[in-house]
Amino acid sequence: MTEKESKRGMKVIGVTLIIFAILVAPHEGEFWPFSIYPMFSQAGNPWTRAMILDVTDYSEEEIWQQRTNEDFIGDPVAVRQYGVDEIDFSNYVSKTENWTDRRREAIRRMFGLHTFEENRWLVVKANGYLAGEDSVAVDIIPWILLTSEGTELNPNIDNSEYMSGGER
Amino acid sequence: MTWYEKIGHQLFEPKRDQTPGELIFFKVFELFVLFYTIKYAWEWGIYTQLRNTEVVLPLGVANYIDISLMFEWNLALINAAVITLLAVIAFARMGARWFYMVVIVLLHIQYVARFSQGEIPHSMNLIGMSVFAFAIGAIWFPGKKNMPRFVIGAIVFFIGLGYTSAFFAKMIGTGINWYDGRHLWLWISEKSIDVYSTIGYYEPNFLQELALSYLPVASVILLIGWLTELIGFTMWWKKLRPFTVTLLIGMHIGITMTMNIRFDAFVMQLILIGFPWYLLFDKFVQHTPKWIERTV
Repeated sequence: MTEKESKRGMKVIGVTLIIFAILVAPHEGEFWPFSIYPMFSQAGNPWTRAMILDVTDYSEEEIWQQRTNEDFIGDPVAVRQYGVDEIDFSNYVSKTENWTDRRREAIRRMFGLHTFEENRWLVVKANGYLAGEDSVAVDIIPWILLTSEGTELNPNIDNSEYMSGGER
Repeated sequence: MTWYEKIGHQLFEPKRDQTPGELIFFKVFELFVLFYTIKYAWEWGIYTQLRNTEVVLPLGVANYIDISLMFEWNLALINAAVITLLAVIAFARMGARWFYMVVIVLLHIQYVARFSQGEIPHSMNLIGMSVFAFAIGAIWFPGKKNMPRFVIGAIVFFIGLGYTSAFFAKMIGTGINWYDGRHLWLWISEKSIDVYSTIGYYEPNFLQELALSYLPVASVILLIGWLTELIGFTMWWKKLRPFTVTLLIGMHIGITMTMNIRFDAFVMQLILIGFPWYLLFDKFVQHTPKWIERTV
């Protein structure tokens, strides 16, 4: 490469940077493969994740009680065994605002309908936050029950929370 | 000489003679990128076809087109096949110079279709940036004299920029107290739920237990990682590059141990572009193999 080509190389990088900025600026820092890498930039905020607990052997009354990450009931289901990416699943649950029938059913389909012929699985939200000065608390909130007949919502949670995105 | 010309000298090294080792390394690197391009195209395509039914989070062009179209009619698999075909032809330099550009556009569509489910992963970004650098290189810097230098130099530039911008994103997003160890506690507990969800059980490792038991340890871990990101741009300088990249690889090992986040392709790529491997090839090879001459 010559001096002249090197100089041209920097100009091309400069133009690319402008395109980069134009693409990521209106898209919250992300326009793959361009990124300003904003992950973990907002530290200390409460978080929400999700997991599935196998509650086949538990009663309705036990299932719908809110618990913590130290005393939850049911065995955690390893979603990857079903070919599902755990981060995808977690984001699906935590970022869905309107739990329409279609969106609820999509979770059952994610794992294959035959899975629920014998099992009852509870989708739970895990909410983590700083509690006081020196500890982290994680609430486990029962969210949706997946059964052979379909899905059930937590009767202890107001229906409006399942449609927080409002009418679209 | 202007400041940007000086950076250009460090990235593209116009005064250094080209050697057989450099061309061989370049083609090995391109093969690495080709492998991951095809791997991702199919993995994303198969997942999209099997699992995606709803768009949870539209990314990139999915903000403007209905990306759920890719969930039907095997479009994601067809896209993977087209990406594979074009990438292989581009690798062999048998097609048009803009083939890599088409590959990156199709790969972007594949990415946003696959990751319309809420996750925004970054472990594949370097492969994407590399394909993009090959696309620009093939169009504006074709030929063995210019393309290898431009492609590798551009990738080094954007990787360095990416780490440093990550530092500033944290500074802007949280402020100077970003390295407060309690933030690491929150992330460890967050990832513990992901681990439960992935494999069904979770046990903190030694480093996590140490960080959870001693706040200063957690703070120091975050501070070291954060400062390492800040100096990411120093990899633009040829002599500093191996040291900066070594620190960054160490940081990724730390991220894996504390937060259970693996960046396999990312780290492999850092290993490839961070060190002057061409010197090693030059020790054993006197002449450039003909097929490499033809395909660079």
